[in-house]
Amino acid sequence: MAEVMRALIPVRAGLACRELSVGYGSRTVLEGVSLDVRAACWTAVVGPNGCGKSTLLRALAGLMAPRQGTISLQGRQLTSWSRRERARRLAWLAQTATATDLTAAEVVSLGRFAHCGWLAHRTAEDAAAMRRAMLATGSLPWARRRLSTLSGGERQRVHLARMLAVEASVLVLDEPTTHLDPPHQEDVARLLRQQAHECGVCVLSAIHDLSLALMADRLIVLGDGGVIGHGTVRDALNHDWLSKAFQTSVNIVDYDGVHLWRPQLEMTSNG
Amino acid sequence: MTALPVPAIGAGALDADGGESARFLGWVAVCLAITLVITCGSLVVGTSSIRTSLHWLLSPDAQSSVILWQIRFPRTVGAWFAGALLGMAGAVAQGVFRNPLAEPYLLGTASGAALGVTISLMAADASMSGLAWAGQIGVTGAACVGACVAIALTITLSRGMLQTAGLLLAGIVVAFLLSAVTSLLLLTQPETWRAMQAFLLGSTGFLSWSSVILLGVVFLLCIVPATLLSRGLDALTLGEDTAQSLGLSLPALRLALLGVLSLATAAVVGQVGIVGFVGLVAPHLVRQTLTVNHRQLLIAAPLCGGALLQAADLVSRWIVRPTELPVGAVTACVGGSYLIVLLWRRSRDG
Amino acid sequence: MSGICTAGAWRESVFSSGQPVGEHVMHRHERPVRAQHPLCRLAPRVPSTPTGCGMTVRRLRTVLAAVGVIPGIALSLALLSATTLAQTAGPVVLRDDLQREISLPRPPQRVISMLPSLTETVCELGACTRLVATDRYSDWPERVKKLPKTGGLDDAQIELIVSLRPDLVLLSRSQRITDRLQELGIVSFALNTQSYADIQRNIQIISELLGKPERASGLSQFIERAIRDIGAQAIARRHGAGPSVYFEVDQAPYAAGPNSFIGELLTRLGTRNIVTPELGPYPRLNPEYVVRHNPDVIFISSTEADRIATRPGWDQIRAVKERRLCSFSAKVGATLIRPGPRVAEGMSAMADCLARVAP
Repeated sequence: MAEVMRALIPVRAGLACRELSVGYGSRTVLEGVSLDVRAACWTAVVGPNGCGKSTLLRALAGLMAPRQGTISLQGRQLTSWSRRERARRLAWLAQTATATDLTAAEVVSLGRFAHCGWLAHRTAEDAAAMRRAMLATGSLPWARRRLSTLSGGERQRVHLARMLAVEASVLVLDEPTTHLDPPHQEDVARLLRQQAHECGVCVLSAIHDLSLALMADRLIVLGDGGVIGHGTVRDALNHDWLSKAFQTSVNIVDYDGVHLWRPQLEMTSNG
Repeated sequence: MTALPVPAIGAGALDADGGESARFLGWVAVCLAITLVITCGSLVVGTSSIRTSLHWLLSPDAQSSVILWQIRFPRTVGAWFAGALLGMAGAVAQGVFRNPLAEPYLLGTASGAALGVTISLMAADASMSGLAWAGQIGVTGAACVGACVAIALTITLSRGMLQTAGLLLAGIVVAFLLSAVTSLLLLTQPETWRAMQAFLLGSTGFLSWSSVILLGVVFLLCIVPATLLSRGLDALTLGEDTAQSLGLSLPALRLALLGVLSLATAAVVGQVGIVGFVGLVAPHLVRQTLTVNHRQLLIAAPLCGGALLQAADLVSRWIVRPTELPVGAVTACVGGSYLIVLLWRRSRDG
Repeated sequence: MSGICTAGAWRESVFSSGQPVGEHVMHRHERPVRAQHPLCRLAPRVPSTPTGCGMTVRRLRTVLAAVGVIPGIALSLALLSATTLAQTAGPVVLRDDLQREISLPRPPQRVISMLPSLTETVCELGACTRLVATDRYSDWPERVKKLPKTGGLDDAQIELIVSLRPDLVLLSRSQRITDRLQELGIVSFALNTQSYADIQRNIQIISELLGKPERASGLSQFIERAIRDIGAQAIARRHGAGPSVYFEVDQAPYAAGPNSFIGELLTRLGTRNIVTPELGPYPRLNPEYVVRHNPDVIFISSTEADRIATRPGWDQIRAVKERRLCSFSAKVGATLIRPGPRVAEGMSAMADCLARVAP
């Protein structure tokens, strides 16, 4: 099934935007952005604070109306999808993992909301999807515990499970590795890569941690009110987009086939 | 679409905890039992001049029969329905605004109802022909209309249903505005002040069977859509962005829930006046003793609110019999004390 | 009311013109003493005669006057002392109902009344012209309607009061402006106006404040007599015990107990109040209580009278079944329960209604 999916995926079956302009109130955060977020690919968005990572993601996920420009999901205009269809195809993970009184199982079952709707009771398929999602994130042991009793990292994993339960073809994640300790950050990265490569899902995530971001397939580097560059990680490193974005020298080293960010602490400060 | 093999986990792993649902059912049973006890107590308690006994209850004389079946019984049942509506409205308000301090009168309904009642009382005395309709529909109708006008004003003022904070702010503004108008009107005809006070402090004194039927119908009209929309409330607790991404239409959800809230509050305010704290305290009480999702909350909060208001009604009639305290004052005392205890406990726990 | 109406004809204009008191102030039917005596030096306060007195005539007149002047002086001095002692012998010091000692150096000429009942009392005591302003609800007698209005119970307009430069402000005990007025140097006097005894006491106190203590008893006795007569008539007209009555002051329902002012009047009319004294003057009753006690007559506002049968269980009450309702509009109700000098009128209205519905 996975192999068939991979073979059939056209290049533009993910998210795309043309001349996108987004902002809040009178402030324009990004302007003239044209991107292609490919399916079966893990794309990471990086950039300095306030460059508009979250804004871009929210606009692409349809949570925010753009000032100008068009967004298309799987070849069709985002606005032309019905709300429910869009919810089935695009799953979102917010930056802050909210604590509620709901149990983990209930939260994950909300991920099936677009599939079963208001009244429909959980079918076997829903239950199976939920179980898979919780297993993938390792949150099954606390299925009956209230979210407010879990730690930040555990909560984050429950929310990840909720996102996976949607079984969408596009995943948009805003800082998915917040609150997670390194082993679990690893798990998340592994999960995202697996979803992209083996499930053909279009994964778009904003990641703060440069080393993790460089594990993705493609990078979108934001800065200065626009896109500094987008392409494969190799492209990004060759053109040193990161340094341009952060307006400082960003030192990336290759170690054992993995790109790592090496902080330079020996720099002498001049004034 | 799975990469990992599915281990053999029991099918019930994702279902609700058996212990939790047992607690919930137990809680519901306790509430119903309390309601039953209070109802029976209400039939027995009244003015001190009535000697009550089982014999009297089963075969009362004509006048006692009137008192029993036309005054005491509808009063206590009506109080239950009013309390249930307030509890449900409070749970809905706290869910929609995602604020534990939200209560049914947030959207200015209390002030709007007070204004409606003022106009009705003034029109009844004065010969203001333009407001004769207010006298026609009576105090209850005027209170309802006033409450609805206040809500409409709030929604128009907040201009766009995607901003919860805007709605809250607009509600506060409308409440102040309508209170000011009410005060101005009262200045021109201050004799209505005393009648207004009775309304402002709440009174279950004149609940008749027709009131009970009205409140019961409204309760059904409100509880059904509210429980259907409870999953939406659950989704809202995850954050507005997440709820939207799950396919919820936030404006439609809010509109429906606010509609339920308005109907419930307007009906209660029309029948018993402004009774505070029940809408605030009932959902809190439920959450203190149980942890529930919104569907369970929308069952438990009305039960709790109904029992609360019934108890308050009983207390207001019994403590200083044969006179009575305004029921709003009793709920304020009880509700206020409960909140103080809550705050103290929270500050002690850090 | 004839006795009281003529009281207003007593000459009070003298005070407002600011003339010193003297022989002008006396009872109507007494001749002024030595007001126009030709001998110029014998009655010092009389305007002196023209200087065209002859010497010899003067001497003779002096001798004659010396003989006749002693009783004259004695009499006029006695009269002077009698009246001026009452008026200008010293400040009037009275204790008001806020337990403050209020002293007035002389009778106030500019009075503001902040309660309708006190306005009526002041006018009945013949000092209506001294009123410079009233509260907005004072509407009797007609002339006070033209006076400037200085607000109501809760919103007295301090600025207006101050600008009118009153010598005395009469107000109710529950108004909060006494401190402020004191700061601004205005004398205020607080009075309780709840019971019938308060009415009588206030008449006495206000008359003393105004410098007309002799007027009080006439008015008091008149009111007492009127009330007694109306009560006696009502009781005599009936054969047997009076009807049981429920007076609803407000729709909570608030009833008038026998200790309230209305309750006292109703008791004097020979009725039995369904409310017992220990419940207080204005208890908020359980509606069940009224049903249980089944009053014969109900006093209620006219708007509520239309709806009374819809109250649960109330259609079984005798008064409702037989339509023995005495209803009054809000405006009439306000004057009905005004604890002022016209209380007999209100009582008479109640007696009439009772005679109609419960003969």
